[in-house]
Amino acid sequence: MNNHGEQRGRIAGFLRGRVWSLTGLGILIGFLGLPALGLAEEAATASAAVAYRDIPQLGGSRNIIWVVAQLHLLLGGFVLGVPIFAWVCEIVGWKTGEKRYDKLAKEFTKLLTSSYATTALFGGILLFLLIGLYPKLMAYLTDVFFPAFVLYCVLFLVETVTLYLYWYGWDAMPDGGLKGLHLFLGFLLNVFAFFIMIVPNSWATFQASPVVITEGSSLARAWAATWNPTWWPVNVHRLIANVVLGGFICGAYAGVRYLMVTTAEERNHYDWMGYVGNFIGVFGMLPLPFAGYWLMREVYQYNQQMGITLMGGFLSWLFILQAMLIGVLFLGANYYFWLGITYRIPGAEVKYRRPIMAMLVILLLCLGVWMTPHSLVASLEEARKLGGTHHPLLGVFGVMSAKMTVANLMILVTFMSFIMYWRAGKQETATWAKVARAVMGGVLGVAALVVIVLGVWGYFVPAITRINYFSVAQVLIVLFVLLTITPLTAVLLRSAKTTSEMVWGRMPPRAGYALVLNAVMVILLMTLMGYARSSSRVHWHIYGVMRDSSQYAYSPALGYAAAFMSLNTFLFCLMVAFIFWVATMGDKGKASIRGAKS
Amino acid sequence: MSEVALLQVIGLCVVGIGVAILLFIKARFLRVVGFVVIVLGIFALIALGVPQMASLPPAEEVFDVASIKTPADMAAIGQKIFFSKGQCALCHSIGPSEAARCPDLKGIGAKLTREFLYESLTQPQAYIYKDFRHEGPPKDYPARMPYINKNPIGLSNNEILSVIAFLQQMSGESITVSPSEIVQPVKTAAVMQVAHAR
Repeated sequence: MNNHGEQRGRIAGFLRGRVWSLTGLGILIGFLGLPALGLAEEAATASAAVAYRDIPQLGGSRNIIWVVAQLHLLLGGFVLGVPIFAWVCEIVGWKTGEKRYDKLAKEFTKLLTSSYATTALFGGILLFLLIGLYPKLMAYLTDVFFPAFVLYCVLFLVETVTLYLYWYGWDAMPDGGLKGLHLFLGFLLNVFAFFIMIVPNSWATFQASPVVITEGSSLARAWAATWNPTWWPVNVHRLIANVVLGGFICGAYAGVRYLMVTTAEERNHYDWMGYVGNFIGVFGMLPLPFAGYWLMREVYQYNQQMGITLMGGFLSWLFILQAMLIGVLFLGANYYFWLGITYRIPGAEVKYRRPIMAMLVILLLCLGVWMTPHSLVASLEEARKLGGTHHPLLGVFGVMSAKMTVANLMILVTFMSFIMYWRAGKQETATWAKVARAVMGGVLGVAALVVIVLGVWGYFVPAITRINYFSVAQVLIVLFVLLTITPLTAVLLRSAKTTSEMVWGRMPPRAGYALVLNAVMVILLMTLMGYARSSSRVHWHIYGVMRDSSQYAYSPALGYAAAFMSLNTFLFCLMVAFIFWVATMGDKGKASIRGAKS
Repeated sequence: MSEVALLQVIGLCVVGIGVAILLFIKARFLRVVGFVVIVLGIFALIALGVPQMASLPPAEEVFDVASIKTPADMAAIGQKIFFSKGQCALCHSIGPSEAARCPDLKGIGAKLTREFLYESLTQPQAYIYKDFRHEGPPKDYPARMPYINKNPIGLSNNEILSVIAFLQQMSGESITVSPSEIVQPVKTAAVMQVAHAR
């Protein structure tokens, strides 16, 4: 037994060594890629004789780039989302003194090392493939963005150094002023990670919404191209989405481990971790639709035709799929909260059964409205009988006014699920508790009513009034609810008496599957919207500036694209599972050795 | 078998594999993999069930200057250049627009001479306005307009003249650019001299 444990420990140590080797390899590839930047710059000044290269044996250049770029982007989202997640958990652990938060933060930072190397590896592969397969496009982009490429390399360097310090310094800076220094390192890690995200965002958003570049120095030209109209909306949207991705992947990891563990202690730990992951995922998910709305507004402002291609053209059915995925995600997140209320808080099941049923009905109705297409799939004969492709009754729900309204209502319901979970098993003792509850109920009720009234009113005003005023008002009202009820509840519960202690480890197995489902939905959503963003450029590499004249200039139909989205999601899930497995193997080895010694 | 039908068969097989894993395999991790496979397969099948519309690129247009016979031909080509290679519509609108980031060009061909238009396109900093919207002496108000005859846009002289013809026609003016200028480089140089002389 002892020998067996030692052997596992040796294997774990060996693999741990490999993780660092992989990290080094990733960084090495990054630096080896630097001469490629130089070559690309030279190519920009020379006329690019070859515009495209292809590898049809591997599915064609476009498909290869699709898979590699999507995996790089998903890994990038994970690598940038996890530090935010870990840093927030570390702060919570430091402020509350609860060591389990610190342990959770450390556990996830450990994952960064191997996932960081994998992300860099895919970034390197993507760069080489782009230079090889799309030389003309890369020559143009390099000509415009070369200073930003150099900045990106520098950012990568400082991010790597900060990650090393943050990870290796964890145990060396456990408390006091040193802990403050460690938290500052975590802050720096996130700042650099943020810039690592927004710099390449400028390249991608420039392709979608280019601006005309005037004469000037390389730096001035790169700066002008960086400040394109969709840069900041995409930055904000991706930042929030990365938090959501990090949270839900943490939840999925906890869900899988929860299904596999055998001891009560581990069940408790992973049940709690699943709760934290789901909480952070939902916390990020609530403002995410607002960021998406802002992005779409900017797209319309930039080029109405591009907006129409997205929302009313050949991509319009994509938004029905998006509604389905978001709806399932909302249902999954709420379902997990409801399971928590039912199983973790003794006695709460009976008390909250009716509100849960009411919320489920509202969510399903909202999802039904959101998924109603504007135009029905109908044969010519069916369309004649209907009097058009719009259904006489359901057609009303197919327009933006209805969809904005139900999206806001779903956010409100999800927020109320969270508040309900927070308050379950506690009794408020403050003298003003009754007034506070009335105020919260009033705010919520009035907000829901105003959102619905604005939604109905939206049918009777010009589109520009609805978009500029009504939709914005709906968003602000929901944000107001979030920003008033959250602190009020926090203050109210500070003096509350706990009537039922939360019992961890009692969730049924389906809770674990719900967490996995949420993560899969978020990843699918990212792949879907990546396809939308890319396809909105139609046959342009750089919209209106550089035309795609390759054989792959067409945008594929949704079914074909969805097959790739599913493939990419599956590959990403496998990679993340592998990263988790490798990163936690050492712990299992150590636990075996400890168990054998004791 | 069509591509959609083939993908649907693959999707059904994937879902079937997932269901088989859940039914016959006890290992928890593999069961989770089976669950994920089912979800992804169902998603692909739903996406294959909605209308399948691909976006095909329009045929690439070639600006053949040899085909230009009349000023109207020049204006027609100029219009295409305005909305494509010239990238003018990235910033300018024709008529009021919220999306426009630079001056509205409606009627510009009537307000400005062809020489001034030419200069604005090829030397955008040559004649700049003063900014009086603050206290103290007026400041230069540098144009954000790029040099249209240089990279990255790089319109040829013929193409610039065509754009001018379009701007004049669109403003209800008679077109003062002649097709003969297209084929006579000496005259084009004369236009440049006029622009510099200003």
